[in-house]
Amino acid sequence: MLWVDQHRPKTLDKMIVHQDVAQNLKKLVTEQDCPHLLFYGPSGSGKKTLIMALLRQMFGPGADKVKAENKTWKVDAGSRTIDIDLTTLSSTHHVELNPSDAGFQDRYIVQEIIKEMAKNRPIDTKGKKGFKVLVLNEVDKLSREAQHSLRRTMEKYSSSCRLILCCNSSSKVTEAIRSRCLNVRINSPSVEEIVKVLETIAKKEGLQLPPGFAARIAEKSNRSLRRAILSLETCRVQQYPFTPNQAISPMDWEEYIFEITSDIMKEQSPKRLFQVRGKIYELLINCIPPEIILKRLLYELLRKLDAELKHEVCHWAAYYEHRMRLGQKAIFHIEAFIAKFMSIYKTFLISTFG
Amino acid sequence: MQDIRKWFVKPHDKGRGSVSKPENSTPASAKQPSGSELMEDSVQGGEDKSRKKTSKYFAGKQNVTSRKEVDELRTKRKTQIGTEQNPVKKILKIDDDDDFVPPKQSKNISDISPKRKVRNDKGRVTAQESAHITESDEEIIEDNETPIKRSGRGRGGRGTRGGRNAVAVMEIDEGQENTEDKEGSAPSGSGSRGRGGRGAGGTSAGGRGRGGGGRGGFMNFGERKDPPHKGEKEIPEGASDCLSGLTFVISGTLDSLEREEAEDLIKRHGGRVTGSVSKKTNYLLCDEDIGGRKSEKAKELGTVFLTEDALFDMIRASNHSKATSQQDQKKTVPKAAVVAAPSTSAVRGVKEDVVSKASSKSMTSKALTSLSSPVKKNIPITKQNSLPWTEKYRPKVPNDIIGNQSLVKQIHDWLTHWHENFLHSGNKKKGKNQNDSVNKKAVLLSGTPGIGKTTSAKLVSQMLGFQIFEVNASDSRGKADSHINRGIGGSTANSVKELVSNEALSANMDWSKQPKSILIMDEVDGMSAGDRGGVTDLIASIKVSKIPIICICNDRYSQKLKSLLNYCLVLNFRKPTKQQMAKRLMQVASAEGLNADEIALEELAERVNGDMRMALNQLQYMSLSMSVIKYDDIKKRLLSSAKDEDISPFTAVDKLLGYNGGKLRMDERIDLSMSDPDLVPLLVQENYMNYRPSMAGKDDDGLKRLSLIARAAESIGDGDIFNVQIRRYRQWQLSQASVLSSCIIPAALLHGQRETLEQGERNFNRFGGWLGKNSTIGKNFRLLEDLHYHILASCTSNLGRSTLRLDYLMLLLRRLTDPLKMLPKDEAVEMVVNFMSCYSISMEDYDTIVELSKYQKHQNPLDGIQAPVKAALTKAYKQNKSLTRVAESVTIPGMRKAPKKRVAAILEPAEDELAEEKVDVLADSDNESSSDTEDGTVDEAKQLQMDLQNLNAKGMEVQVDLKESNTKKTGAGRGRGTASASASAKKKGGGLAPPAEKKGGRGSGSAAKRKR
Repeated sequence: MLWVDQHRPKTLDKMIVHQDVAQNLKKLVTEQDCPHLLFYGPSGSGKKTLIMALLRQMFGPGADKVKAENKTWKVDAGSRTIDIDLTTLSSTHHVELNPSDAGFQDRYIVQEIIKEMAKNRPIDTKGKKGFKVLVLNEVDKLSREAQHSLRRTMEKYSSSCRLILCCNSSSKVTEAIRSRCLNVRINSPSVEEIVKVLETIAKKEGLQLPPGFAARIAEKSNRSLRRAILSLETCRVQQYPFTPNQAISPMDWEEYIFEITSDIMKEQSPKRLFQVRGKIYELLINCIPPEIILKRLLYELLRKLDAELKHEVCHWAAYYEHRMRLGQKAIFHIEAFIAKFMSIYKTFLISTFG
Repeated sequence: MQDIRKWFVKPHDKGRGSVSKPENSTPASAKQPSGSELMEDSVQGGEDKSRKKTSKYFAGKQNVTSRKEVDELRTKRKTQIGTEQNPVKKILKIDDDDDFVPPKQSKNISDISPKRKVRNDKGRVTAQESAHITESDEEIIEDNETPIKRSGRGRGGRGTRGGRNAVAVMEIDEGQENTEDKEGSAPSGSGSRGRGGRGAGGTSAGGRGRGGGGRGGFMNFGERKDPPHKGEKEIPEGASDCLSGLTFVISGTLDSLEREEAEDLIKRHGGRVTGSVSKKTNYLLCDEDIGGRKSEKAKELGTVFLTEDALFDMIRASNHSKATSQQDQKKTVPKAAVVAAPSTSAVRGVKEDVVSKASSKSMTSKALTSLSSPVKKNIPITKQNSLPWTEKYRPKVPNDIIGNQSLVKQIHDWLTHWHENFLHSGNKKKGKNQNDSVNKKAVLLSGTPGIGKTTSAKLVSQMLGFQIFEVNASDSRGKADSHINRGIGGSTANSVKELVSNEALSANMDWSKQPKSILIMDEVDGMSAGDRGGVTDLIASIKVSKIPIICICNDRYSQKLKSLLNYCLVLNFRKPTKQQMAKRLMQVASAEGLNADEIALEELAERVNGDMRMALNQLQYMSLSMSVIKYDDIKKRLLSSAKDEDISPFTAVDKLLGYNGGKLRMDERIDLSMSDPDLVPLLVQENYMNYRPSMAGKDDDGLKRLSLIARAAESIGDGDIFNVQIRRYRQWQLSQASVLSSCIIPAALLHGQRETLEQGERNFNRFGGWLGKNSTIGKNFRLLEDLHYHILASCTSNLGRSTLRLDYLMLLLRRLTDPLKMLPKDEAVEMVVNFMSCYSISMEDYDTIVELSKYQKHQNPLDGIQAPVKAALTKAYKQNKSLTRVAESVTIPGMRKAPKKRVAAILEPAEDELAEEKVDVLADSDNESSSDTEDGTVDEAKQLQMDLQNLNAKGMEVQVDLKESNTKKTGAGRGRGTASASASAKKKGGGLAPPAEKKGGRGSGSAAKRKR
């Protein structure tokens, strides 16, 4: 088992980071009925862990008995029925799913599953809660329509089910939904906290951590706890015992994007653009989400860029990212961004250095 | 020189006016005086006798004016462009003054007639435009009547072709009356020459200026420089054949015409335009010597250079020669006076037509011809007009059929031998013939519409004396009543059945005397909803038929006809070539009294894309309004109604992005892009950066090109957004906008020369890579989803898919591959298998993980793993199969089929951990409560487990119908409790042993336990 899973805190009490949030949540569910919740924050900050611990707090260990199920939903959409396949993770007390996987048919999922859950209302035994919890991941990727249909059903079935929504950015969740939920912001753990966690893990695993090594991993992890633990284990696999200046290898795809950016900076020509297109395709084929590619690309470019251009390049990156969301063929927009960047950068180079 | 002098002299021979004229022509054609210079000489110099005479004469009366005139003309000439090449310009005499004393009509005519003879028939036109000076002085009217030949000849100096010198005479003589002073020339001229057109300068052109030359360049993106005087000049009209036989090459930017317009102009007048200079090239049309390859070659070959103005002159000149000829026609009518009135009216009609932009020229000639010979041709036309031409000129004998003669022959042979094959000797050798392709019982003719399938079938049948029964789409052709002996119930199908089976009708009686019958089933691929079972019935009919059957269809690959093909001899009709069609069209045209030239008809044939019927219809339609059909008319007429062709996406992209992509009209671009609105954008997207845009012009550092590419890329992105709107929200009205932004704009920005970006790439457009890549992406996503699902099912982690890919994958890969590289074989294999079972990663998932981490030019993650190690891993995995927990669909005896949904294991996760840590009181109590029931169910569970292990299914997991397993599920779960208890005990002892070992697998409702 990976450390990141093995050492995941199972209860709210055992949280190392976000202890305050955990305690508040605990009070919330023990003292009174639970409202709808919206967790948001950057990835690797512990949202999922908190949610799972919260469920356990609410329903006891029964919440841990989950089964994964690849379910086909039959949905009546006007004249025809649509089959939608979706993986759900459910226990007797909760259902977890990722509706955005259904693409633009996500609104049917949202309506259908909530209705179904409302139908099978659990019997209130032994003082357990008389409602089920629906955990929806990646709500920010839900389409507008799905979010709108969500907001009505949220109210209508609130007696029988509670929603726990989880997303990275609350700005992509509509105002209406945000106002119906208790918003819980989970921020990234600070570097010190990460170091603390890493040290705990190392102690549990009986590892010798050289001084400063944990701090370096924490730096590199971009304040994502998950990333930090994973790269600690990666280092462990690579080389043990640790040396203080051991290389911390970046993610494969990050490395590849780094290569692409240096390609772009070195030469701006149609030929280069064509080669870059091939590389972007490769990333996409390896299932790297296009948004991540564009974001990382910008990040890498900005690191190398003259301050003068940063603003403009950021603007165009945002512009093309927006268009990418409107469109469907992500490669077109990423390519357009790169072409635009090349054009801007070359103009800049020529005007500065002649 | 001499002849010039003669020109001046002759008029003085009084009373010899008309007689002297023939002489005019002779010297003119024999020698070529070069324009005004000569004339000037003749005017100024004083050397020989005759000249003295002239000068004397002029000195006395007219010298002053004449010289003034000459000067005027010379200055005028200088202003004109390109005179160097073309020594002769129109030099026109101006005398529009109304106070002239008009010459007599008869005289006028007699003056003209000889000149017509001089008129050059074809080809090079020496633009010899002589002005006819009529003096106002009464006494010298007659003297001066003769035109003063002042002009030289266009290109005369290079007279490579002898005897071609046309003397186009511009008649500016006054008409009978002052008010109608232009009468003489107007009707004869191009007719397009309005009164006003003839300015004081006597510009012979005056033609209708084709709307300022505004045709052609709609949306001309870049490409060539605009002509400096675009649309400023009037484009002349000339005889439609005046350039015939001549070959032109156009080079560089012309003065006022777009290249396309120039080509058009030349073609309209019968010339040919080719792309490069060769020996056959007569002229190189260029206004400035840009020194390109064409002009070099032309110099080498001695090709004549021609300016645009000179070309205009050539065309104009032809006009006048024609004018004279037409006036001559008038002369044939006995009384000039009688002619005068109608011809003026004709002129007026013409003038109106000029305004209305009708093809005035043909109208004029029509008017004239009808005047001169009103009887000739209109009568037969009106008599037969009731028939459409397609019927009227339907081939009467098989040899008339255009193209496909061999097929016609085949039908003929087949028909002649039909009865022998199938009726008489048919009984004897039936078995043999059945599969012989030549001896099929029916034929199927296929081909595009309008190429004569029906006609051929009918003609051949008629010729062989068959009686034809034709059944086509207008008849109902459904399945016949099965009991044919009930008689014909009025339905066609039944009568067909009757027909083919009725022996009396056909052969068995003395068929040589009876008319033989043949059945033509037209449009068999059109059998549709109403004709249920039509094709099957047809096949049945063919089988029993006693008469030959000819089936005709357009698309032989139609799904409906698949079964029919086996029973028919399939003959595929091809489109006739355009020359063949033009020939036939020419015959039709001449039979109808239409005057059409070859080029025009070829153009027509090309436009209709082989459809003879359409060509004839078009021709007939045009015949209603005009009697002379020229290239131009066809082009105009069929611009919109040209027949569609199939364009492959590649061709479309080639055209759009090609070097000449900027010259396409907008509608052409839309047509091209719309030829396949899904594929063309993808092809454009794939290839747009391979083009070196001609729009960028000089672009040393590639900056312009890059910015154009950026713009194009953005536009392609727009197209994608449009596409989403169209597909997802069904906003189909946006499809044009989508095509515009995804194909047309990028193509407009980037069209140019294609270049290769990669070594060894062929310089052709690649197929759009997106489709393939997208399907790979989709496949990989499914694989990733499987992996994700398996990991979720293992309940060790609860992660999202993208998290899995972005964060976990690399570590997973390391955990799966690194031990194999570094540790000894057995240890490594055990470690990896344990890890896999912990996350329930299957061997397929293993491959997925490796696959998703591969990058080009990066090390393959599997490098460094020896083959035996890999094999050992696979083996170990298979042995430990029971470890994996994920339910695949497994058929269980007693169940009809595997349940569709896959149900994964339920587990109590980490019970051992809980036990170990003793924190969660709740959990403990839960465990206790469960252990209460445990004992009761353990046996049951074990029993179940035994059963399942007997199954030779995939193994590890079994799905049990929920009905029966509801109780068992809990039982199994509890049963597991004990197992895990022991496992945890073991673990405590084992210390750092990998935790993965502890978990047994479990299906929903049943457990497949690992044996320890």
